[in-house]
Amino acid sequence: MKIQYKPKRNLLQTILHSEIMQGMAFTLRMLFSKPITRQYPQEKPDIKLGFRGQHALVRDEETGQSKCVACMRCVTVCPSRCIHIRFHEDEDTGSRVVDSYDIEALRCVYCGFCVEVCPVNAVVLTEMYEYAAYDRESIFFNQERLLANWDAFAEMKGAAIKNYVNPFWRPRGIPESRLPAAKRLDVPEEWTIEGQVVGNLVKREQ
Amino acid sequence: MHVLIILIEILVLFAVIMLHVAYATYFERKIIGHMQVRMGPMRIGWHGLLQPIADGIKSFFKEDIVPEQADVVTFRAAPIICLTAMLTSLAVLPFAKGWVLANINIGLLFLFAMSSLSSYGVILAGWASNSKYTFLGGLRSMAQVISYEVAMGLSLVGVMMLSGTLNLTKIVEVQGGSFGGMYIFPQIIAFFVFFIAMLAETNRVPFDLPEAETELVSGYATEYSGMRYAIFFMAEYIGMMVMASIGTICFLGGWNGPFEVTIFPPFWFVVKVYAFMFVFIWIRATLPRYRYDQLMTIGWKLLIPLALGNIVLTGFIKAFTG
Repeated sequence: MKIQYKPKRNLLQTILHSEIMQGMAFTLRMLFSKPITRQYPQEKPDIKLGFRGQHALVRDEETGQSKCVACMRCVTVCPSRCIHIRFHEDEDTGSRVVDSYDIEALRCVYCGFCVEVCPVNAVVLTEMYEYAAYDRESIFFNQERLLANWDAFAEMKGAAIKNYVNPFWRPRGIPESRLPAAKRLDVPEEWTIEGQVVGNLVKREQ
Repeated sequence: MHVLIILIEILVLFAVIMLHVAYATYFERKIIGHMQVRMGPMRIGWHGLLQPIADGIKSFFKEDIVPEQADVVTFRAAPIICLTAMLTSLAVLPFAKGWVLANINIGLLFLFAMSSLSSYGVILAGWASNSKYTFLGGLRSMAQVISYEVAMGLSLVGVMMLSGTLNLTKIVEVQGGSFGGMYIFPQIIAFFVFFIAMLAETNRVPFDLPEAETELVSGYATEYSGMRYAIFFMAEYIGMMVMASIGTICFLGGWNGPFEVTIFPPFWFVVKVYAFMFVFIWIRATLPRYRYDQLMTIGWKLLIPLALGNIVLTGFIKAFTG
């Protein structure tokens, strides 16, 4: 194969620097185009579906505590090992009780695996992203902080929090029968094609 | 009394030029920003209008660091040589009829001398900093200035031959107020050579090898900080303005325009200078840097022969047409 690095030019094009002129015309055109800059603190970006932001533990409306059952799946799946759970077993019922639930957000890579694997939809990556701080301690989330994060998120969402569902709580492309009971959530119309919950890949092919 | 008036004139010119320099940086950042589909400075003041002032204050109050191994006296003097040489050349520029500090008969020659002197500042800065980056920047600058000074001088010989004078005011007057009288038409080759040499003389893209932010970490200015660094920048922007003024005076008919603006006689001069500045910035936003040997090839093998040919051609035409 012959690669032509330099396109052939005739004498006139060489004298007039036609290629430089093309470049100059392009930059001049761009001068009058609309800048794509977003003036951040004044203009916030619109958050797309599946955004993975600040961590939170969902506050259960009945008990007022987290839904976590200490199954340790999130701890196991976490690639950066930033989730730490301590629990003990209740002597009477034999069920697990969470003692502490910590997320080191500075180590988190925001892959969303913990949210996807959680069988009771207890942990979530919210749409909040403004939580920079001046010390490391305030970005180390313990259980109270994670629940507080959820309250802040609920406040942001308002009434929409009742039907809140994200693509990690209801993984797309998996049949209902193969999901844990808590993950068989009702999803918005636009996620589905012919009653099946589908991902972006399928939609793009349509 | 006469001396006092001249001093006041100098002060006014100095203040106006410094303000222009400050806002030339703003102009450049805005234009480049928009050409790169960004916005440029937006935060300080309305659309960032106070940004140059903030930059000035910041650089003025920054620490003036002198490297341990540096040659202190030369290190301190270099930016001042740069700035002084550039500011001095402003004295002979006629901004409008009679608006000139020193109407001397060797104006053009004086400008060349001063622009060569300012490159001493760059070379000395490169030498005195005692660092390899600055030294390479200084060396490159020396080679570049020597090559392009020749081409630039030769390109303006055609203008001198046509006008028969070195006095800048006279050069403008000879061109007259008509559109066809501008020397850009009979001296189109000289203008081409002058334009490229002008870019090289002011160390602008695509000939910014002495600075070369991306490879030499801004070359000769690497070791400078605070006000001294800012002085180099001022010198560069004044240099751009001076070169744009030479171009305006020698090729575009100076302060003459389609109609007279009586309240502000230098109106057309300023418009033309800013058009030149815009082209400077436009080129910076578009073109990448030349390779070093290409730079030398263009200088010695293209521009100098073209300029010499132009002199011969102009001579012949002048001899035959009288």
